[in-house]
Amino acid sequence: MNQIPHEFAIGGVFMSPLLVVSILGTIAAVVTARLLNRYRLSRYFSYPPLVFVALMVIYTVLIGTFIIRV
Amino acid sequence: MPLSRKAKEAIKVALAMTIAYGIALQMNWDKPYWAGFAVAFVSLATVGQSFNKAANRMFGTLVATVVALTVIGLFPQDRWLFMLILSGWVGFCTYMMGGTKYQYFWNLSGFASIVICVSAGMDSANAFRIAILRSQETGLGILVYSLVAILLWPTRSRGDFDAAAVKLSETQRQLYQASLEQMGNKDKTDATQELRTHLLQVQTRFGQLLEAAETDSYEVWEMRQQWQKFQRLSTDFAGTMAGWHGNFIELQLLDVKSLIPNLETFSAELDKRFAEVERMLAGKPPEQQPAPIDLTLNKTGIQSMSHFHRAALAVTRKRLNHLETLSRSLFETVNDIQGFDQKAKVPVAKPQPSGGFVFDPDRLTGVFHVMTILWLAYLAVIYVPDIPGGGALVSMAGVFGMILAGTPQLPVSKMFMPVAGSVLFGGVIHIFVMPQLSSFYELGLLLFATIFGICYLFAAPQQALSKVFGMALFIKVAGITNQQTYSFLGVATTAMLFMIIFLLLTIIVNIPFSARPEKVFLRLLGRYFRSCGYLIHNMHRDTQKQEKRFDRWQKNYHKHQLASLPKKLGVWARFIDTKVLPGTEPPQIQTVLTGLQALSYRMQESLAESDKAQSPFLLQELQSNIKAWRDRVEEILQRLTDEFDAGKKETLGARLTEIIDRLEQRIEETLDKAAENQLSKQDNENFYQLLGAYRGVSEALVDYAGTTEIINWNLWREERF
Repeated sequence: MNQIPHEFAIGGVFMSPLLVVSILGTIAAVVTARLLNRYRLSRYFSYPPLVFVALMVIYTVLIGTFIIRV
Repeated sequence: MPLSRKAKEAIKVALAMTIAYGIALQMNWDKPYWAGFAVAFVSLATVGQSFNKAANRMFGTLVATVVALTVIGLFPQDRWLFMLILSGWVGFCTYMMGGTKYQYFWNLSGFASIVICVSAGMDSANAFRIAILRSQETGLGILVYSLVAILLWPTRSRGDFDAAAVKLSETQRQLYQASLEQMGNKDKTDATQELRTHLLQVQTRFGQLLEAAETDSYEVWEMRQQWQKFQRLSTDFAGTMAGWHGNFIELQLLDVKSLIPNLETFSAELDKRFAEVERMLAGKPPEQQPAPIDLTLNKTGIQSMSHFHRAALAVTRKRLNHLETLSRSLFETVNDIQGFDQKAKVPVAKPQPSGGFVFDPDRLTGVFHVMTILWLAYLAVIYVPDIPGGGALVSMAGVFGMILAGTPQLPVSKMFMPVAGSVLFGGVIHIFVMPQLSSFYELGLLLFATIFGICYLFAAPQQALSKVFGMALFIKVAGITNQQTYSFLGVATTAMLFMIIFLLLTIIVNIPFSARPEKVFLRLLGRYFRSCGYLIHNMHRDTQKQEKRFDRWQKNYHKHQLASLPKKLGVWARFIDTKVLPGTEPPQIQTVLTGLQALSYRMQESLAESDKAQSPFLLQELQSNIKAWRDRVEEILQRLTDEFDAGKKETLGARLTEIIDRLEQRIEETLDKAAENQLSKQDNENFYQLLGAYRGVSEALVDYAGTTEIINWNLWREERF
C-alpha cells in the first residue's frame, strides 16, 4: 500500500483524502446506527447522538489509517 | 386549450422572475439574485396572501437594513461585540417569530440583518451601498411580482374566503346538532370528535383567508373588525362545545329532558339561529330575528338529585346559556357584516388583553439553536482558514437556523434532499447550459423555462419546501451577473457550504436533548403535567394573602402551558414514526391528545371557578375533603409526569370516586348544618359550579388514564439514534 497521502482526482477536480475519508466514516457510522436501531441495541446507550459522533471519529481514524492514508 | 390553475401560477412566477432579472441586469445592479429571492418567496396562491407576505418581507428588510447599518457603524473594529449584538438581535427576532402575529416580518428582520451585516461587514467601505442594494432589489422583486399577479390571471381571496365562512358556519351547526343528539343518548356512537377536528381545520383555513382577503378585498377590509369578531366568536364556540362535550358522561346518567323542560324549544331556537347565520353568509337576508329564550329548571326534580349531579346540571346550564349568548352575537355580527339590518349595527368590543408577558420555553429553545449555529459558523469562519463559503456560511447558518426554529418538527434529513437536488440541478445548468447562451433573450428563456418547470412540478402545498428551495438555490448557484463567469469551484464550494450547514444543524438539534419527535412529545407531556400539578397545588390559596408578582407570573406561565401544550403536542404527534414503536398506532396517539385537550378544558374551568368568590363557610367546612381530593389528583399528576401512565383506569376511577363520594356526603351534612341565612342563592350556585368543575377534572383525568393504558411507554422512553 502506498504510504504517501495523495489527493483524489475526480474529473480533474482534486479532493483532499481527509474529505473522502470523513465522508466514508460518516456513511459507515450511519449504517452502524441503523443496524443498532434495527436490533434494538441503541437502548443500551444513554446518549446516542454522542455515540454517533464517536462512531464517526472512530471510523474516520480507522479508514484513514488502514485503508486510505490521510 | 385552457390552462390549468397550476400552469397559470407557474407562468406568473416565471414571468416575474425573468422581468425582475431583466431590470436588475439592465440597471447593472450587483447580486440580482436578491430580486429573484423576493419573487421566489412572496409568490403564494392568491393576490392577498402574496401581498401580505410581500409587505412583511419589505418592512422586515427595511428594519434589517437599519439594524445592520447601526451594528456595523457601532462596532466596525470589534468583531466580538459585533457578533454579540447581531446574534442578540437575531435571537430576539427568532423569539418574536414564534408568536402569532407578523412571523414573516420577524423572520426577515432577523435573517436579512445577518445577510447585510455579513456582506457589508466584510467590506465596510461599501456597507451603505450593499444595505441599500438589498432593500432596492427586494423592492424590485416584490413590485414586479405584485404587478404580474394583479394583471395576469389575478386570483383573489374573496371567493375562497366567502366559501370558508359558509363552511365554518355549516360545521358549527352540524357540531351543535350532533352534540345535542349525543347529550341525551349514551348508546349513540360519538360523531362529535370528527366534527370538532374538522371545525378546527375549517377555522384555521378561515383565519388564513381572512388575512389574505383583508388585503385584496376592500369590502372585507372595511368590515375587518366585524370579521375578526366573528373569528373570535367562532373560537369561543369551539371551546364551549368542547367543554360541554366533557360533561356528557355525567349528563347521560340524568334525565335531562325532564330536568330542563324547555330544552327542546331552546335547542330549536339555537338551531334556527345557526341556520340563519349560514343563510346570511350565503348572501340571503334572515327570515327571522333571534327570539329571547332562557333555560328553566324543574325544581322538584332537582331536589331529589345528588349534589354532584346538581353541580353537573348547573355547569351544563351555564354552558348552554353561554351558547345562547354566542349564537345571538354571531347572528348580530353576521347581520352587521352583510348589512341586512342597519339597526343591528353592534359596537365591536376590543379583544381582552392576555395576562401579561409569559415566556415560552419552546421559543427560547429556538433562540438557543439559532444563536448557537450563528456563533459556530462565525467561529469557523474566523478560525478555519479558507472554509468553504466564508461569510456566506454565517448568512446561510442564520437562514437555516431560523427555518429550524420556525418548524422544529421538520427533520434536518427532510431538508437535505431538496437542498442537495437543487444545488445539483443549479450546478448542471450553470456548468453545461449557461456557457452556451449569448444574450438576455436566451438567458431569459432559460430562466423562464426553469422556474416554470420547478413551480409546475412542485405545485402541491406539501411540496412548498422543495419549490422554494428549488427556485432559491437554482438562482443562487447559477450566479447570474452582467460579468458572467463559469466555475465548477463555485458550485463545489456551495455544495460544501451546505454540507457544513447540515452538519451544524444536525449537531445543534440533538444537543442537549434528542430531537426525535417521540422524545420531544414525552418532554412536552412531562411539562404539561408539571404545570397541571402546580396549578392544582396552588388552587384556593389563602385569598387573604397578597399574591406576589413572581407567584402571579408563575401562575400565568403554567396557565399558558396548559392552554398551549395540547396544540404543540398535536403538531409533534404528526411526525412520530409509529413503525419504530411497536404496539402504538396513530389513532391511539390521537386519543391521548383528545383526552389531554379535554383535561385542559376541565382544568381551565376549575381554575376559573376557584377564582370566584366562594362562601367562606362552605370552604371552611369542606377544606379537609377538598384537600384530600387535591392531594390525590396531585399524586396522579406526579405519576403521569414521571411515568406517563397512571395505572389501571378502574383502580384510579374507584379511588377518585371514593374521595368524591366522601365529599358528597360531607356536603350533605354541611348543607343540613348550615343555617337558613348562611348561604345565599349565589353561594350555592358558585359552589355547585366549583364542584362540577372538580368532578370534571376527576373524570377527565380518569378518561385520560384510560387512553394511556394501551400505549407501551417503555418503548417510547428507549434511546434511539
